[in-house]
Amino acid sequence: MTAGRGDALRARAAGVGSVIARAPRAAGRLLRMLFATLGRIARDTWLWTESWLLDEKKSLYGLAVTRILLGLTGVGLLLTNFSTRLYTFGAGSAWNGEGVRPVSDFPRIWLFSWFHRVAYDDVLFTALYLVLLALAVMFTLGWRFKVVLPIYFVLWVSFIEMNDAVGDQGDNMYRIVLLLLLFADPAARWSLDARRRARRDFPTLLPREISNLLHNLALVALTAQVIFVYVSGGLYKAGGEPWSGGYAVYNPLMTERFGTWPVLSDIVTAWGPAVTVISWGSIILQISFPLMLLTRPTRILALLGIMSFHIGIGVLMGLPWFSLAMIGIDFIFIRDRTWRRGADLVRGAFADGEAKEDEPAPAPAREAKKPQPVR
Amino acid sequence: MPESTRPRRRVVTRVIMCLAVAVTAWHIFASFLWIAPWSPLREVVGQEKLSAYMIPMFGQSWSVFAPEPVNGDYRFEVRALVDGQATEWASASDTELSMIQYNLFTPRAGIVAMDVSSQLKGAWADLNEEQQGVVELNYFKDAWEERMEEALRAYGDTDVVDAYMTQEHRATAYATQVAYALWGDDVEQVQYRATRQNVIPFADRHDPEAERPAIQYSPTGWRAPVVNDGQSQEAFTDVFRAQYERIAE
Repeated sequence: MTAGRGDALRARAAGVGSVIARAPRAAGRLLRMLFATLGRIARDTWLWTESWLLDEKKSLYGLAVTRILLGLTGVGLLLTNFSTRLYTFGAGSAWNGEGVRPVSDFPRIWLFSWFHRVAYDDVLFTALYLVLLALAVMFTLGWRFKVVLPIYFVLWVSFIEMNDAVGDQGDNMYRIVLLLLLFADPAARWSLDARRRARRDFPTLLPREISNLLHNLALVALTAQVIFVYVSGGLYKAGGEPWSGGYAVYNPLMTERFGTWPVLSDIVTAWGPAVTVISWGSIILQISFPLMLLTRPTRILALLGIMSFHIGIGVLMGLPWFSLAMIGIDFIFIRDRTWRRGADLVRGAFADGEAKEDEPAPAPAREAKKPQPVR
Repeated sequence: MPESTRPRRRVVTRVIMCLAVAVTAWHIFASFLWIAPWSPLREVVGQEKLSAYMIPMFGQSWSVFAPEPVNGDYRFEVRALVDGQATEWASASDTELSMIQYNLFTPRAGIVAMDVSSQLKGAWADLNEEQQGVVELNYFKDAWEERMEEALRAYGDTDVVDAYMTQEHRATAYATQVAYALWGDDVEQVQYRATRQNVIPFADRHDPEAERPAIQYSPTGWRAPVVNDGQSQEAFTDVFRAQYERIAE
């Protein structure tokens, strides 16, 4: 027995010895495998990213909807202020001193000084106003977009920065988004350009890969912009007593400026728990927005929530154009697949009575005009 | 990804891609630092460099309605001296408010008077007690703005005076337009009243006895009319007077 035990011990010692002897080589192999794996992951990530950036333009339908709604925002704002344009921006407003000493930086920049220069000439100002309105219409329709957008951007900024005092943060958001859209292709779908370009397989000015690259990076920057705005807005609010106390929305709704429908303001704020749900809900929604975008069910919830939030601001607080622009930007988060399905449903609804079997059932006609729900 | 189906990239494409990604990353990082509350993280870039990049094109601030949302109304009232007689007070803010109340499509003309009031009141609140006493006096003779400024500086020669004089001029020029629109060219002097009144506190909103907190005034005296170069009285009157008559009905 002892001899046997001794043998076993010797054998084990020899085994350990050989394990130790092989260890450097094994470690070397494992390390090589580790590096190879890491290398493969890095390479795959690089190739995936490259393909994501270069191979096709993302969110073309979403950006098209953004374009349309931003365009309607421009048209709506210009029409809304048309009859009071001289009073608010033109010769009737010279008392505010912005004609001599602009408050905004933009009128001092040559490129953005067009409106500033004709501010007190009623005829030229009105002419330029109408040009801007026409550009807003062309922007909405996506007609010669690559030419129209830069001109619209310059003139719009020039106009909206004439009277800094009546502006709001929506003006900043609108400007930043227009600037980012210069690099994207928001007229590739649902536009007059799209019909024309489709005949020639969507030609691009720049090499196709570069055109795709700029489009997709603009989309990334736009996403970051929206997310930062929502999250920082939520965090800034969270520190305030009226917000943590759950009654913050009551205060502005009771003022004349941000409670433009006093009867509705009274109804909305009558029941305390609802006031808290709205106040806290908006903070929670804003802060969790980026994470909620990650999965489909939470994305639907986030988008429905944030859109209700904007509709509330737009109607109850008298900021319709700011809200419409923000809603327009949020539409980039709805996937192309969903938009196409929605469009098919609408098309199906308008199709002839003898719809084929494989076509989706016609939706009620009244649904045709509004965007389809998120899918 | 199989080798055969992977598109071949040109070197120049890859170089452009890396540059464009770097620029985008910088833009996003700068936007993040700018939009987020001020933090030591900004030292990574430096405040000046960050400002130089963000302003004016990406200028923005999202602390709207935070940490405490607005809870009061700014109002602006005007009266004038016509043929030695003082008129009644007329509310410019109420006149403009009627353009946005119960209107889904609100013109920006509706918030002009509120803005004049809020800016004037803000600048007034920064004056010290003696200076507030000065602006409560009447100034309607020649070069009144220079004289008022001199009087204010006697009690503290600071940026606060510059800021106030800018708002004083602006408010008087606006009040002048309102007075001309309502009482014609014979207006000799104008006086305005920029006030703020807070809303009924949330907890008391169902109390039928509850009254809004007292109006906060920023008393200012009579002033000689002020008209800026380029001002079209007609363009102002057309809108303001029509609206004033509409709500008077």
